[in-house]
Amino acid sequence: MRDFQVLGARAPRLDAPAKSTGQAKYADDLTMSGMLHGALLQSPIAHGKILNIDTSKARKLKGVRAVVTAREAGLVKYGVSPARYDETLYCHEKVRYVGDEIAAVAAVDLETALEAVELIKVDYEELPAVFDMFEAMKEGAPQLHAEFPGNVTAEVHQEFGETGALMAQCDLVVDHTFLSKRQDAAFIEPHSCLAVFDLQGKLTLHTSTQVPHYVMRTVAMVLRIPVGDVRVIKPCVGGGFGPKSEATPLEMSACLLSKVTGRPVRMNYTREQVFLHSRARHQFYAEMSLGVKKDGTMLALRNKAVLDGGAYTSFGIATVYYSGSLLGGPYRLQAMKYDGWRAYTNKPACGAQRGHGGVAHRACFEQLLDKTADELGIDPVEMRLKNVMVAGQATINELNMSSLGMKECIEAVRDGSDWKNKKGKLPKGKGIGSACGFFVSGAGYPIYRSDTYHSTVVIKVAEDGGTVTVLTGSAEIGQGSDTMLAMIAAETLGIPLECVRVLSGDTEYSVDLGAYSSRQTLMTGHAAKEAAESVRRQIAEVLSVHMGCDAAHITFRNGNVLFRGGPGDFEKLRQGYIKEHRGWTDPPGGDYLTFREAARLAFLEKGTLVGTGKYKPPRLGGAYKGAAVGTSPAYGCSAQVVEVSVDLETGQVSVDNMTDAHDCGLAINLTSVEGQMQGSLSMGLGECLFEEVKFDSRGRIINASLGEYKIPTALDMPNVKSIVVESNEPNGPYGAKEVGEGAIMPTIPAILNAIYDATGVRINELPVTAERLYMAMKEKEKKP
Amino acid sequence: MLLPRFEYHEPTTLEDALNLLHELGGNARVLAGGTDLLVKMKRKLEKPSHVISVARVPGMDQIIPRNGHAVTIGAGVTAAELARNELVMDRFTPLAIAAGKLGAPPIRNRASIGGNLANARPAADFPPPCMVLNATLKLKSAKGERDIPVNDFFRGPGETVIEPNELLVSLHIETPPPWSGGSYIKLGARKAMEISMVNVAAMITLQSADGPIVDVRIALGAVAPTPVRALAAEDLLVGAIPSEELFRKAGEIGVGMCSPITDHRGTMEYRCMMIEVLTKRCLTEALARAKAWKP
Repeated sequence: MRDFQVLGARAPRLDAPAKSTGQAKYADDLTMSGMLHGALLQSPIAHGKILNIDTSKARKLKGVRAVVTAREAGLVKYGVSPARYDETLYCHEKVRYVGDEIAAVAAVDLETALEAVELIKVDYEELPAVFDMFEAMKEGAPQLHAEFPGNVTAEVHQEFGETGALMAQCDLVVDHTFLSKRQDAAFIEPHSCLAVFDLQGKLTLHTSTQVPHYVMRTVAMVLRIPVGDVRVIKPCVGGGFGPKSEATPLEMSACLLSKVTGRPVRMNYTREQVFLHSRARHQFYAEMSLGVKKDGTMLALRNKAVLDGGAYTSFGIATVYYSGSLLGGPYRLQAMKYDGWRAYTNKPACGAQRGHGGVAHRACFEQLLDKTADELGIDPVEMRLKNVMVAGQATINELNMSSLGMKECIEAVRDGSDWKNKKGKLPKGKGIGSACGFFVSGAGYPIYRSDTYHSTVVIKVAEDGGTVTVLTGSAEIGQGSDTMLAMIAAETLGIPLECVRVLSGDTEYSVDLGAYSSRQTLMTGHAAKEAAESVRRQIAEVLSVHMGCDAAHITFRNGNVLFRGGPGDFEKLRQGYIKEHRGWTDPPGGDYLTFREAARLAFLEKGTLVGTGKYKPPRLGGAYKGAAVGTSPAYGCSAQVVEVSVDLETGQVSVDNMTDAHDCGLAINLTSVEGQMQGSLSMGLGECLFEEVKFDSRGRIINASLGEYKIPTALDMPNVKSIVVESNEPNGPYGAKEVGEGAIMPTIPAILNAIYDATGVRINELPVTAERLYMAMKEKEKKP
Repeated sequence: MLLPRFEYHEPTTLEDALNLLHELGGNARVLAGGTDLLVKMKRKLEKPSHVISVARVPGMDQIIPRNGHAVTIGAGVTAAELARNELVMDRFTPLAIAAGKLGAPPIRNRASIGGNLANARPAADFPPPCMVLNATLKLKSAKGERDIPVNDFFRGPGETVIEPNELLVSLHIETPPPWSGGSYIKLGARKAMEISMVNVAAMITLQSADGPIVDVRIALGAVAPTPVRALAAEDLLVGAIPSEELFRKAGEIGVGMCSPITDHRGTMEYRCMMIEVLTKRCLTEALARAKAWKP
């Protein structure tokens, strides 16, 4: 039975006071004496040869301290996956999209830097460009990278089981296609950084990132300096959602300019530059066939994907693998075939965004499931329940569901939404829809192939024993990871949450791969637990000698020490502590020896008390090519029921109710779990109904602002009924696993299924604007 | 993004403001809420060498009732103020509704009615309600003043009859007669922070609660280079007993008065169909309010 003092509560966030009073420091709040301001020159054309770059006028401008191009930066290739390093810091022979970086300037103020950028003269020979993923893969299309002919950055061909043979045995095979649109993550804080080289030649980079560790490695590699000479510090971050999971040209430019000038250099992206840098959600095309038995049993799935990757690879190899692997569950399949291609186009590069690679294909599949249920005359919720996997099962592509509250989630949203009284019984214009999904709880492997620990944590106890500091390289980006770690440390040490301080987001503190793939609760949480256990053990060992009690019989609870479950005779130890702190006004009291007294005693014997913890997953997944993508020590899953109203005269959709259930193993901080669930829903709702990055015919973004790129407002988002399902994950710390990304999976298909229920129209292209739905309804009217 | 360099003026009397405008004319821009001007300046679409704020000019931010017969609204009155003002809600309803749909609360706290009109965007929220309320705009300069009916005010996208030395100081609106009611509908993608794909304002005056229509005005936005009055649709309605069928026909005729474009917000085809639907709906809402009119 669970008996937690700290976990499972609604803890106030550690960062809430600073953020709500405006005292929190973000990268753009940082300033240093002698600081210079940097600015980037980015390509105004989508595809072209660079014939000449003339920086002489810019260099002569008063106040300019440095101008750097590929000549100064060198041509070290980098990217996300070492298998596809296809970027250089600055373009040298070619520009590949509007926004491709060509040069950077450092000057005494931003105005001068921007003026200098305009003085750099670049001669281009414009090349034909390609903006459509299907066009890009055709013969004769303009080629982006000589090394990757055919504009294919990655392709995947996998088959598990005998798809063809099983399809032939099916009573029914249903097809569906789906087209999503390029998204922007629309985090509130645009990228911002401040780089400074000290007089020893060591670099410190303060930057708004999700992954200090990877940024450190990429910066070191591109600037050709030792990794140990680079320290990356993440101040408060105003959201990331994926696109801040890799080193940016902004960060590397600031570092290079600081190296060249010997001065601190600050650089920011404008909102428009955030759109240009992108690395957000790809555009996906999906084509699927599902084969079933008459009774609704799923047998086989054929899945085809085409992804618009933009000009560079970024996370794209993993993305195109995920679009296949993440359909292995949460339903039992006997066969699955997947073919995926990711195309280069002359647009900003796409990368990882919440629900990486899985969201669009999940949307297609869950619609296909509803379509199939419809044809079989089975209730779609019942069909899901019939096929759902349970804990202990593995998917056909060898993903191991060590815990899986999928069935419980479906039942929770079915009952929580009153599905049985609504499905099929709502008036025209009102609809109800459901969907499910699952996601990794931390990628099974680091981005670069390595045996590295994914997370290490250091816990240090203050000399008086009263305060415990968790030191970690993990990244609090607004999701609540600092509070989660403090809660795990407090629970493990048996002390109140208020006694724990967290210092995070600094590569100097520990190794941590960062905030992506929903990994920190499970992985950093494990390392924090282990570090706290080490501290606890060290204290218990010292106490066992003094108290003549076996260390195994010493426990810590609510800041007190229990010997064989009771207070024990600790008076001598207390007198010793009070003597040491003569004159202090907070002598320990109460019927039990306190953690503070115990930790002080341990300090007096052993010196500064430090515990370390580490985590890396065991070897996971199958032996086939690409088996690593999709593996995870655990999987979170979720189900949703959405109710919509459709204005039949205009096509406008209002989402009236959302009922959401998520299995997060153990909810460490219930409030944060619900926050992640509701945030996921809002992001999914936006992608479903409004969001699309649009381009003109020359590859320029026409809605690169939060005025014109439409994310949901508070008025568009209904109240959400959030149901937390707890499954006790054996591979998670205290049974915990992810909630950050899995929760977005069902949102889009649940809305689409509800729209179908309301209108009888199946929309297979996003976003479902009023116009798209209205026109589809009109089209349907015309058909008899 | 940085603002370009400019000289900033903050006159404290109307006279000073008009003198500055007279002196600086075309080199100056008037700053009210700044929700349009500062955005355009940051995007380098406007680079005025002088900016004249009217924030400290007395009276610009006032709503003055004229003995029940009319109201004078200062050009600097914010959308937020118009949305919550009881007199405006009660007697000049389309204006209050439009004010409540402009942008979002932080924008409504800054954006002024004068700025919204003078900015003259085809999709702006305030022009259609001002048009159906027959507002008159007062333009002043150091040399004198003139009153312009709002229906003669707009010349094209971003263009009005205001001369470089003139300042829009206020709007004057006669209180609609008994048994009048109005409404405003805006169609955008989201429920807030939207630029209309189509917007419609309507004002109906009945002879009595169940009587025929004696006067009606319909104005459409975002469907032509300037907001337009659907005069032919109005002609159809005057003298008629209101009905759903009649309003549907009015919508159909309304479409003919428009020349919407296709852009990334929506196609011409869809906009036309929505003019029809929204005109019908707006008239229906206006009628309900007219029937419920109280002295």
